[in-house]
Amino acid sequence: MSVENGKIKLELENISKSYKVKKKDFLVVDNISLEVCKNEFLVLLGPGLSGKTVLLNIIAGIEEPSSGKIFLDGEQIYGTHRSICMVFQKIGLLPWKTVMGNTEIGLKLSGVPKRIRRKTAQKFIEMVGLKGFENAYPHQLSGGMKQRVGIARAYTNNPDILILDEPFGQLDAQTRYSMQDEILRIWEIQKKTIIFVTNNIEEAIYLGERIILFGKCPAKVKEVYDIKLQRPRNNMDPDFLKLRKLISSNMDIDLGV
Amino acid sequence: METKKTRFIKKAFYLLLSLSSIALLIIGWIFLASRRPGLFPSPQETWDRLILFLEKPLRGPLYKHVWDSLRRVVIAVAAACGLGVIFGTALGWSRLFKSTFGTIFEIIRPIPPIAWVPLITIWFGIGEFPKILLVFIGTFAIVVINTAAGVMMAEPLYLAVGKIFQANNFQMIREIVLPASIPAIFAGIRTALGVGWAIVLAAEMLGSISGTGFLIARGMQIGDTALIFICMFIIGIIGALLSLFASFIERRVCPWRTEK
Amino acid sequence: MTDNRKVKVEVNNLTKKFGDLLVLDNISFNIKEGELLCVVGPTGCGKTTFLNLLSCLIEPTCGDLLIGGEPANPRKHNLAFVFQEPSSFPWLTVEKNIGFGLDVKRWPAKKKKERINKIISLMGLEQVRHLYPHQLSASTDQRQVIGRAFAMNPDLLLMDEPYGQMDIKMRYYLEDEVVRLWKELGTTVVFITHNIEEAVYLAERILILSNKPARIKEEIIIDLPRPRGIADPKLVEIRKYVTEQIKWW
Repeated sequence: MSVENGKIKLELENISKSYKVKKKDFLVVDNISLEVCKNEFLVLLGPGLSGKTVLLNIIAGIEEPSSGKIFLDGEQIYGTHRSICMVFQKIGLLPWKTVMGNTEIGLKLSGVPKRIRRKTAQKFIEMVGLKGFENAYPHQLSGGMKQRVGIARAYTNNPDILILDEPFGQLDAQTRYSMQDEILRIWEIQKKTIIFVTNNIEEAIYLGERIILFGKCPAKVKEVYDIKLQRPRNNMDPDFLKLRKLISSNMDIDLGV
Repeated sequence: METKKTRFIKKAFYLLLSLSSIALLIIGWIFLASRRPGLFPSPQETWDRLILFLEKPLRGPLYKHVWDSLRRVVIAVAAACGLGVIFGTALGWSRLFKSTFGTIFEIIRPIPPIAWVPLITIWFGIGEFPKILLVFIGTFAIVVINTAAGVMMAEPLYLAVGKIFQANNFQMIREIVLPASIPAIFAGIRTALGVGWAIVLAAEMLGSISGTGFLIARGMQIGDTALIFICMFIIGIIGALLSLFASFIERRVCPWRTEK
Repeated sequence: MTDNRKVKVEVNNLTKKFGDLLVLDNISFNIKEGELLCVVGPTGCGKTTFLNLLSCLIEPTCGDLLIGGEPANPRKHNLAFVFQEPSSFPWLTVEKNIGFGLDVKRWPAKKKKERINKIISLMGLEQVRHLYPHQLSASTDQRQVIGRAFAMNPDLLLMDEPYGQMDIKMRYYLEDEVVRLWKELGTTVVFITHNIEEAVYLAERILILSNKPARIKEEIIIDLPRPRGIADPKLVEIRKYVTEQIKWW
């Protein structure tokens, strides 16, 4: 484990998940065990439909594993947990709430009084660069802006672990690059443990301290890479490209039906 | 190449088409009226009858009858919405509730409101309450079904958001499920208004001393087709206004529905 | 290396206004027969409007578009379009979907069969030729749409970010597939993308559009031999250059 603090924040032990499809068992997650260190930026990389999202849902607590255990700070957890928050791929902003309404929702549901939660939410809205948009509705925002609200919303809830499920997948390439810098910047200001899922090698190498490579469905750990490149990283650097070629050659491609 | 001129000509053409079809309708009306003088009043006769009615009211002025009908619908539909949304939400959200009360609901629902008329008349007579009750019975089911459908079809993504942010059952319903179901609920309200309007007319026709339905029934008894025509026009206009009103309220309640 | 191919598509002074809003400003360029041209530009610069004009879905405010010397006419000319999401017909099998354009243009049965078989073998779709779109993965679905577009031998094939939603390994595979189809069939292709690396990997020539109102900022000719490598320093250099040109954030 070559990450700074070295303390283990989250541990997955033999997590498996299968679904019943027409009387047959369909294995989606295959006996995954891994450790996440405190405040590390961990990237889970794998082809589309490899079961990564299901794994994330299990960690976040919105799906139950068929077998296996999850430990947070050494204690076993079941279902959702205050300390684990998620930024969704499809963003999932509640369309009937404003930017402020969406950002503060975690605190509102926990019963935090209005004045305090507004202040906290305001801080994070400004941190993601959306000052002035507090009263805008999601349909008035661009894709990148919506996703920034998603990030602010998760941060406002003050979780220990932040899970991001291909958060930039719906964005165009240029917005994607700027959002990558954005999430790194935010992570530097407010260090949290981040688990970032993507199917984009370039993004994975650009962001991650460690990359866990998954194969085709069912999800299984194929390989773990430690990324020792200096920040800020340059995706056209020869070292970067070499690493990219290495990981890419190891990636599966699913031409299946 | 489409210029401003061609766009204008196109618009004018379609407008002309609409106006011509209306003119054609009126001409057809006059033509039919001239063929069957007793059964089919002409536009002129209808207008005269209206003036006559305003001078010599029939069991009360015209506006009072319209207002009576409207009042009955609004009270009944308001009650149906209030109770219907609560019942429908419980039905859509709680499996327990659905198994117990849902079954009873499904048994009673298929009985059309008209079939309730004789029983309700025997029990409650022909006053205000039985009519309101009748409209309520007919519209309650609609609101319930639409609300339940809205609740059951709530976007799973939003439910996942609620779960992750630690919402309890009550918070889920208030903060997420209900707002997400508003489009379905309003679809139910709009339908309920339309159906309620039809039920109140039927109830009034079958036993009443006021209301637009009563006027139509009277018109039928004495062969006053012009009076019937007038009432039908008014009924149509009110129906359209109710629909517009519902849409207006929906737009105010859901500012987020204005998608670009 | 001189390009002796004749000009297939001419775009002259193409301008498009929506009311008072100027979206495309006096765009002029040529496309040679059988060329693979990529168009890149910042978000919201009018790329989609540009494509819609090229495919005759909308009319320009002024300027004209000539295909083979004649004004572009969807009835006379064969224009194929591949959208961002798969647009296959759910009620047709892969085989029938690919042959759709040929059915519409009433190709003789034997010629049609040959063409469909050729496309299917070029793309390796033998296993799935009798399946329906809902039985396919999204990437295979999109591939059959691309096969359909290439099959009808279009005068101009337009592709609007067709691989936008797919994972990177799949993208590499699909980009190679498009190059293979293009080389084998000699179709004139215009490929729009946000992804600079994809553009540099695929294109013989890149058009860089400016921010709204869109103008042609620059034209870059890419002379690298195929197959191209993403780690190739020359490719990286071109990529760096193009990225510089569209810096707006």
